[in-house]
Amino acid sequence: MNYGLHLGALWPSVRAGLLCEQKYGALLNNFAAADHVPEELELLNAADFISEAPQKAQQWQRSAAEGEAAGGCEEGTGEGRTVVQAGMVTQAETSPPLCTSISSKIKCYTFPRGDIMRFRPARPDALGLLDYYLMDAASLLPVLALSVQPDDFVLDLCAAPGGKTLALLQTGFCGHLAANDISISRTKRLHQILHSYVPKEVRETVSVTSYDGRVWDQVKGGTFDKVLVDVPCTTDRHSAMEEDNNIFHKRRTKERQMLPMLQLQLLMAGILATKPGGEVVYSTCSLSPLQNECVVERALDIAGSQFNINIHVEDLSHFRTLFQDTFSFFSDCRLGELVLPHLTANFGPMYFCKLRRV
Amino acid sequence: ARSSPALLLQPRLDPERREAAAAQLLLLGLSPALLRLPTERLRERAEELRRLGLDGGRLQRAVSRCPQLFHVPRKRLEAAVRLLRERCLFTAEQLREVLGTCPAVLLEEPRTLHHQFQYAYFRMGVRQKEMVKARLFRMPFAELRNRHIFLERRGLYETPHKGQTQTSNPKLKDIVQLPVKDFLASLALSTPEEYEVFKKLLAREEEEEEKEEEDVDAQYTEEDDDLDR
Ligand SMILES: C[S@@+](CC[C@H](N)C(=O)[O-])C[C@H]1O[C@@H](n2cnc3c(N)ncnc32)[C@H](O)[C@@H]1O
Repeated sequence: MNYGLHLGALWPSVRAGLLCEQKYGALLNNFAAADHVPEELELLNAADFISEAPQKAQQWQRSAAEGEAAGGCEEGTGEGRTVVQAGMVTQAETSPPLCTSISSKIKCYTFPRGDIMRFRPARPDALGLLDYYLMDAASLLPVLALSVQPDDFVLDLCAAPGGKTLALLQTGFCGHLAANDISISRTKRLHQILHSYVPKEVRETVSVTSYDGRVWDQVKGGTFDKVLVDVPCTTDRHSAMEEDNNIFHKRRTKERQMLPMLQLQLLMAGILATKPGGEVVYSTCSLSPLQNECVVERALDIAGSQFNINIHVEDLSHFRTLFQDTFSFFSDCRLGELVLPHLTANFGPMYFCKLRRV
Repeated sequence: ARSSPALLLQPRLDPERREAAAAQLLLLGLSPALLRLPTERLRERAEELRRLGLDGGRLQRAVSRCPQLFHVPRKRLEAAVRLLRERCLFTAEQLREVLGTCPAVLLEEPRTLHHQFQYAYFRMGVRQKEMVKARLFRMPFAELRNRHIFLERRGLYETPHKGQTQTSNPKLKDIVQLPVKDFLASLALSTPEEYEVFKKLLAREEEEEEKEEEDVDAQYTEEDDDLDR
């Protein structure tokens, strides 16, 4: 796969990011008695990137607007400038509701840009629940994009080992959560995580299953408000060296060629499991457009032509504005959003795209 | 400045002239400690250095850049020279060039030099001729590695395969000699922020690899102990 072509001048930075230690975020466990943890983390200079995002975004918008105004006085108003200002206005108008749509109950601490500090391992509270879960902070973006509302029925189609499942539960809104994963051994890990982080009464609202996600629609068609389809993909972090490692490369080509098909089938199942009006978030940890935009485009096609289902692709560009300080976003996705690894903010890759079934 | 080698070889001086000489040496960037060396020793060392190829202006330049050349034990000089000739296979002419441009190699531990040579030769795929031209030994090893591995992870440097001579790799000369700002802008296509983070991450990687190796070593020793019992 030639990412150099696709990412152009960004590729050297992305490649270096992939080949260096990745950054983690600490997803706070709201179920644990760990009130002291935020203070502890703030002393180390970490901050909850989700709650601080709206304020930061507003500051940028304000200073950008001031810059614009000042620039306008000096240079007079050319046509290009007016267009830019019009863009600013729409952003300013749409952002307040968007800010509120970010579920603020999920808290995730990260160290600032360029800071390579690591988090200590999680610790249990008095009842044995761990205080936080360490994960790629970019993995929370698909969950935030899903924006679970009170009492939503939620399906996590490829759930194991369970980082995003745990984040979905942190919203406190899941009326019911179905967590599925085809791999029995990986669902064991999911069970372990639920046991270490979630009290019994909440665990009981989660049903863990091990179906092949591709046939999910036959099991329970069209009943969920929110569906997360976090598909298996080439984990570019682990395979960036493959270019240099030819044997490995060849051995896995077949499997790779099959991936987009599997991903498409899983996304279709996810769409079919959604109620009309419900929403699906498709996510991968791949940089490959073949596994990202192309899969979504094919799914839109098939949903329309074979199932007569109309789908609206939701605009998530505000994520780029909100979280630009924490993540390095790719600005040229045809559909959805992509977080690119970068040495100063070494999260991702993480692609996510939100679809609404109309 | 021309008078310096002669000055170094002055016979024993009376205190007044000695003070004046010390002041001269300081002006030339040399250590007045040289005056405390016996004349014979100075003469010998200058002779040795000349024999190594540091003749005329070269000797003067080398000594003013690196006055310690008069203080290191002879064994150390000889070891460094042997290493460069016999293990790194620099030709006599190349050796002269290396000594003229980086006299400090004569002060190095042979092990350190060898390490740096092997890194450039095997890991970076650079031949002796290019090393000499690049003034390889002027750059501290850690800095060389930082720059090289940075380029490599950015996909901008590939270790040439056996027998391959043509590559699109940047020239060693540029990697070694460009000021960091220009290195980042024109070779690494990167920002200073990224490079700063990279250096910290690489240092930590190394530290942990070393620690792992130590742990493995410790395990073996423990196992050996078990066997003994
Ligand atoms: C990227 S991982 C999911 C990570 C998880 N969502 C998390 O955040 O921890 C993809 C998962 O898809 C599962 N998977 C692969 N094929 C599947 C299928 N046909 N049906 C359901 N799950 C599948 C794999 O076992 C793997 O655990």
